[in-house]
Amino acid sequence: MSVNTARVLTCIQCGKCTGSCPESGKTPFNVRMIMRKKQFGRAVEEAIPWYCTSCGACTLRCPRDVKPSEVIIDLRSALVEDGQVPNSIQKALENTFVQKNPWGRSRAKRGEWSEKLDIEIPHVSETQSKRLLLTCCIQAYDPRCMVIPANVARILRKGGLEFGVLGEEEACCGNEIRRIGETGLFEELMEENIATFREYGVREIIALSPHCMNTLRKEYGNLGIKVSHYSESVAAMISQGVLKPEGSYDKKVIYHDPCFLGKQNGVFDEPRSILKAVPGLEMLEFSRSRETSLCCEGGGGRMFYEAEGTYERNSVVRVNEAIERGADVLATSCPFCVMTLEDPATEKGLAVKEVSEILMEVLG
Amino acid sequence: MNILVFTKRVPATQEEEIRVIDDGKKVDLSKVPFKLNDWDNYAVEEAVRIAEKAGGSVAAVSMGDAESDEVLRRAIAMGASDGFLIEAATERQDPNGRATLALNFLRKQALPFDAIFTGVQAEDDQFGSMGGILAAKLGLPFASMVIGIDTFEKDHVIVRRELEGGLQERVKVSLPCVLAIQSGINEPRYVSIMGIRKASKVERKVFKAADFQEGAENMIEVERWTYPPTRGGATMIQGDADNICKELLGILKEKGVFQ
Amino acid sequence: MSHALIIAEVRRGQFEERNLDSIGFCSLLGKQAVLLAPAGEYAIGEKSVDTVVRVAAEESLFLNPLNMITIIGKEFETRGKPDVIVFTSSSSGSELAAYTAGHFNLPIITDVSGLDKERSIFYKSYYSDKIFGEFRPAAGGPFVVTVRSGSFKEHAVEKPAAAGVETMEGLAFAGGRAFMEYVEEEKGEIDITKADFLLSVGRGIGSKDEIPAYEALAEGLKAVISGSRPVIDKQWLPKARQVGTSGKTVKPKVYLAMAISGAFQHIAGMKDSDCIIAVNKNAEAPIFQHAHYGIVGDANKLRDKLREILKG
Repeated sequence: MSVNTARVLTCIQCGKCTGSCPESGKTPFNVRMIMRKKQFGRAVEEAIPWYCTSCGACTLRCPRDVKPSEVIIDLRSALVEDGQVPNSIQKALENTFVQKNPWGRSRAKRGEWSEKLDIEIPHVSETQSKRLLLTCCIQAYDPRCMVIPANVARILRKGGLEFGVLGEEEACCGNEIRRIGETGLFEELMEENIATFREYGVREIIALSPHCMNTLRKEYGNLGIKVSHYSESVAAMISQGVLKPEGSYDKKVIYHDPCFLGKQNGVFDEPRSILKAVPGLEMLEFSRSRETSLCCEGGGGRMFYEAEGTYERNSVVRVNEAIERGADVLATSCPFCVMTLEDPATEKGLAVKEVSEILMEVLG
Repeated sequence: MNILVFTKRVPATQEEEIRVIDDGKKVDLSKVPFKLNDWDNYAVEEAVRIAEKAGGSVAAVSMGDAESDEVLRRAIAMGASDGFLIEAATERQDPNGRATLALNFLRKQALPFDAIFTGVQAEDDQFGSMGGILAAKLGLPFASMVIGIDTFEKDHVIVRRELEGGLQERVKVSLPCVLAIQSGINEPRYVSIMGIRKASKVERKVFKAADFQEGAENMIEVERWTYPPTRGGATMIQGDADNICKELLGILKEKGVFQ
Repeated sequence: MSHALIIAEVRRGQFEERNLDSIGFCSLLGKQAVLLAPAGEYAIGEKSVDTVVRVAAEESLFLNPLNMITIIGKEFETRGKPDVIVFTSSSSGSELAAYTAGHFNLPIITDVSGLDKERSIFYKSYYSDKIFGEFRPAAGGPFVVTVRSGSFKEHAVEKPAAAGVETMEGLAFAGGRAFMEYVEEEKGEIDITKADFLLSVGRGIGSKDEIPAYEALAEGLKAVISGSRPVIDKQWLPKARQVGTSGKTVKPKVYLAMAISGAFQHIAGMKDSDCIIAVNKNAEAPIFQHAHYGIVGDANKLRDKLREILKG
């Protein structure tokens, strides 16, 4: 009996999971029901597991440590081993296998963002600190998101923090791959990345995406490497007075907690303290913020899969509330949230910014 | 139905910038990842489905370097029961050479088959000829651009060939035969990494290409590798609405999608 | 005297336009052109080749590779072997060429898109069309080529005299493969991945009410409608029409993107299209970085103008 199967037996069907789930009610996805079916060894319909966004709310709130998120990953795993994967997810997996990123972009070009920068960034092996700045696949290839590593690199440089990159030796962290249930591929990515870290004696990793931070911190085993999100380093620099924002950013900014940074890893205050340090910025909060932040529906493989049927996307709900509260800018600290929120936001004339983009505007 | 499928390990060149080096003598593939030829993926999937339905088995054959074992393992993970590697250190840039190598192997090993599948073409050399040449040398009936296999009986198959403009033709082909399978004939199953690992337990028989070289010399040669004429960034179409429309329709005509 | 043997592609009574590339190829090489053509009522340019051989086999027999080797074998007996045998680079042309090369043990170079007569080399695409190989047969003797559509037809010039006409009769074909019937594309559930020409609409068209006019334009252009994710999310088009990472990946001959900004997830679904034409009000829209042709302007207005022109 697998660990997950044993845990499912302790489920008391309280329904807190379904109550927290961002997909509940509007889609056929019902976490409590899935746990019930697993208790009785009943089959779960093939399409169902793919709705999960991996926000982790169910696991966090379960009073019995059933870890429904993991049960869902197990269900997906079984489908993956059977070859029963939605086409678009299949493509993302196959791309990751060949090019080490789900977008299928050339691995050889993964480091190009750092080569085109106005500052010179060394390979991590050439640094004293062996501090690695790790990019998310989407930040390495998408022009819109490429500004994030570019900005953070400049900000860290201004703050005098030494760091290096891996360029094309970096492979996808595998966070989404693991959540999609392709355990074998996740293991391969993890092994390759760990071997690379060891080869260069990496001692610290600053992740540019909460997804990467999550898996490196919690799923890569005991690396003996400190893993943090860039907002933690930057917030520290600001509080130490090493970075001094100047000028003015006279906007009302509402902050959206990304699931993988906030509820899953407890990093709520650092991005906020960065925003609060920006002169002229007025911070607003969503009704659902911090631990109860509403998942943007970008995670869990949802970047690569859209279920049939229409229902109001959480990103639209978030944008509407932001506008209702009078926000000029919707800020967040995760590239997936940026991508998912920007679509509906642009339509309604609301700007979406990653925290580093805002900070960059007020650093000389 | 016993089906032999030829599978090729090819460089994944779609996303890469490919450079010519050594004054045009070589193409630099050192940084390019490799994978199973897309068309062969469809061919293996189709063969496995037929074997699952009608009974029989699928064997995958690959002609290439030692790394080509990867594509055999993949085929086995998809449902093939055997894998044969004809190992050669250097790649042949000639469909005749490859077909003759295959022909000699098939004759010497006397592998039984009802049908041989290949992909319509290989992503790297784009010749699209190996299957047809092999069929002719074996004296077997052949059909390429197979977009659907409608029926398979003991002595014949009925297939649909993809023509141009959405048109297809239905043809009856006697068995044994050679079919070149077109992409889109099916939706290949996903093969997980764990599945490929499990496939490693099935023995893949390795042969040396040198043992099958009779008459397999290259019949064509490459003088030099070079670049096709380049196009710059987006060509902006300017002018007033009438002019823009005219130019646009002109482009559509040139591309053959509009009369 | 040296000559080239051209295998004509005649389909449903039509002498296909791509035969002109075969003819042009021979002109460029400076060879006498002998055209083998099937029986049937159809027009070949009277002065396009030197000799036309009307083979006593109707087109479906003619296009069967198992029969073609008998036909070519007889031609070799009659006139001797040519310097080169030229096929079109189409579904049938490629099939016939490979089988012919295999049967007669001839070198074959496919998808030839150019040649350098002085250096006796033929240009062939390699590695996802990113590299050209300069190929030639390794030894003397006849060889087989297929020529890429559109590459040589401007060299198909009129000859001074009309072609001599011959016939080929008394052919006995072996069995093994038989044509049954043509099958037209089913007009069922649409599969945008199979379309040659996609007219794709983005959020920028404004509202669902604009869709019918785009559908009418698509019909006029014989294009298939598709859309980016926001359009599908809003239910302006059904899910089957979605292009992008969470929809379908397409590689049509032409992708006409109307009012699509070019978000990363959308680009990933269409960037390998042969020809991308982008229309967007915003000159900075990312889609222009991936397009072959760009038009800065109002997509709806352009749509209306095109419809006007098509009607008139």
